[in-house]
Amino acid sequence: MLKINNLSANIEDKSILKDFSLNINPGEVHAIMGPNGSGKSTLSNILSGKKGYEISGEVLFENNNLFELETEERAHKGIFLAFQYPLEIPGVNTNIFLKTSLNAIRKAKGEKELDAIEFLKLVKEKARELKFDEEKLNRQLNVGFSGGEKKKNEILQMSMLSPKLSILDETDSGLDIDALKVVSDGVNTLRSKDNSFLIITHYQRLLDYIKPDFVHVLMNGKIIKSGGPELALELEKKGYENFN
Amino acid sequence: MTEQIKTDFEKIIKTSAFSEKDVELKKMYLNKFLETGFPTRKLENWKFSDLSQIIKKNIGELSFYNDYSFTNKVDTSIFVEGIEHNKIVFINGKVEKVDFTHEDHDKIEINDDFKFVNRLEDDNSLISLNNAFTNKCYKITVKKNYTLKKPLVVYHSTNNKIKSKNFNLKLEFQLEQNSSLRLIDLFNDGSENNFINIFYNFDLKENAILKNYKIDKAQNKNIRYSYNNIEQDNNSVSETFVLSSGSNFSKNEINCNLKGEYSSAFVNGIFSLNDGQHHEIRTIINHLVKNTKSYQLIKSVLGKNSKSAYQGKIFVDSKAQKTDGYQLSKAILLDETSEFNAKPELEIYADDVKCSHGSASGSLDENSIFYLMSRGLNYQQSKELLINGFLLDVVEKITDTEIKNLVKNMIGLKE
Repeated sequence: MLKINNLSANIEDKSILKDFSLNINPGEVHAIMGPNGSGKSTLSNILSGKKGYEISGEVLFENNNLFELETEERAHKGIFLAFQYPLEIPGVNTNIFLKTSLNAIRKAKGEKELDAIEFLKLVKEKARELKFDEEKLNRQLNVGFSGGEKKKNEILQMSMLSPKLSILDETDSGLDIDALKVVSDGVNTLRSKDNSFLIITHYQRLLDYIKPDFVHVLMNGKIIKSGGPELALELEKKGYENFN
Repeated sequence: MTEQIKTDFEKIIKTSAFSEKDVELKKMYLNKFLETGFPTRKLENWKFSDLSQIIKKNIGELSFYNDYSFTNKVDTSIFVEGIEHNKIVFINGKVEKVDFTHEDHDKIEINDDFKFVNRLEDDNSLISLNNAFTNKCYKITVKKNYTLKKPLVVYHSTNNKIKSKNFNLKLEFQLEQNSSLRLIDLFNDGSENNFINIFYNFDLKENAILKNYKIDKAQNKNIRYSYNNIEQDNNSVSETFVLSSGSNFSKNEINCNLKGEYSSAFVNGIFSLNDGQHHEIRTIINHLVKNTKSYQLIKSVLGKNSKSAYQGKIFVDSKAQKTDGYQLSKAILLDETSEFNAKPELEIYADDVKCSHGSASGSLDENSIFYLMSRGLNYQQSKELLINGFLLDVVEKITDTEIKNLVKNMIGLKE
């Protein structure tokens, strides 16, 4: 599904990713763990199409060259990024935003756009599953939401858009234990033989709830070790510093 | 200009039936105008926009004569649909229709021979010009305890019979005790390159409520100046909303005298400009007695080569304790060539007051755009959503739900 070959990324002459390679097949859950500044967020930004990086290497998503696609085209093709810091968008109603987003993607896929009633039915159902306060759907997008609510909103968007590849950028940070469980349930519901996940995190904790197939340790822009879920436990015990 | 204006003026006097006294008054105003001419950048009030140059550049020589002896046909296609309303229709500067069908007729008095006395800024040459050339001044009085059932829409239109390159409009409103008026000014004028000079005076008695919505939305090549003077007695409320978007150049001045206790004034405005447009709002809120309140919120969205300016003055008299005055302006600059100017002025002579001002400007937030695009919206959709969101809270300040929805539809705002 996603093939990253020798990806290097610089920002203002600072090298962040160095010859980074990763292969994600349909249905797989990959976790990337790494200390602050190891390049985790840069990776997720580049996959979603954020500008401002000098890039070399190749990224293929279902055999499309990702670098030839605009940010919104990547979303249309099924890439979703749950932001580490979801943005507050004043004056934009959450429901209107969700509907615009869902219909933009449905339209691009050649599916019928949802009308207001169909949309509301769907969003209410998803919100209930995620224990997301329905009243917040009528508020301005993320404005005045707590850290946990913002993260839940990301997962709500993800479950609405049902992407093929979901990238979760430190979705666990800022969540209490109950919210962590709800969010994980949301992810697990979406797991299927077709959908893949790339989970970026500092801590092993999230991986207790979302069982990864592969764990990769990222340091200084490179994967230094890959393995199964046991790698996360080892990392938790040793810490990043002593890991090498 | 001097020769042209004098000749045109004589022509008007000859062809109209003004009384001798009126003619004297008009001459006096003409001379007053000629003493200074159109405002230039030298005047503090006009430091962001040199009207004299703007007229020269966009129109060239002005002409002033219009034949008001015949009746223009009212083009009903300009009327706003979906909202029942009363109407005043200006065509080429002449009132062609005054229609209060929705109201009790003994509750509204219409006087078409109102003698206007200038008690305002003596140095405002545009008011002098207006006084010299206005064809007729209507005065609308809303009687005690009467609330108009439907809004009044004033249509500012032109047709191809227009001769002059300048026309001057004037309306006078008196709102008696406990009365209330909703007024929409609609500038849907398709004429090319005219200088339009508008003067309104409002007199709000105790407990009166005025809501004035000034909508300049349709793209046009006119240069427009509008001056609202609002006098407020005890407990009266004025709400002014300006949508400044259509004309090539537009300046709205709002002068508000809060001279009765517990009176309050609200001014909210949107500049939405593009392609070399240049608009300005200048407000002067005079807090003259105790316990008065004013609130102002102005937002700009500025495209290529456009420029907006907001000059907001809050004056607090030494008697005006417990004044509450607030103003905020924000601007989004969509292009390197766009420009926003804010000049807040607080002149405070009382010591127990709450007054504040703020101003912020910047470009569209790229991170927010990235966030929206990562959800499948294209750049244009993301940009529009952010701009709508930015402007929404100004529109939300419109207290009349019916008109709020009308404005939202006009500018394509979704909730």
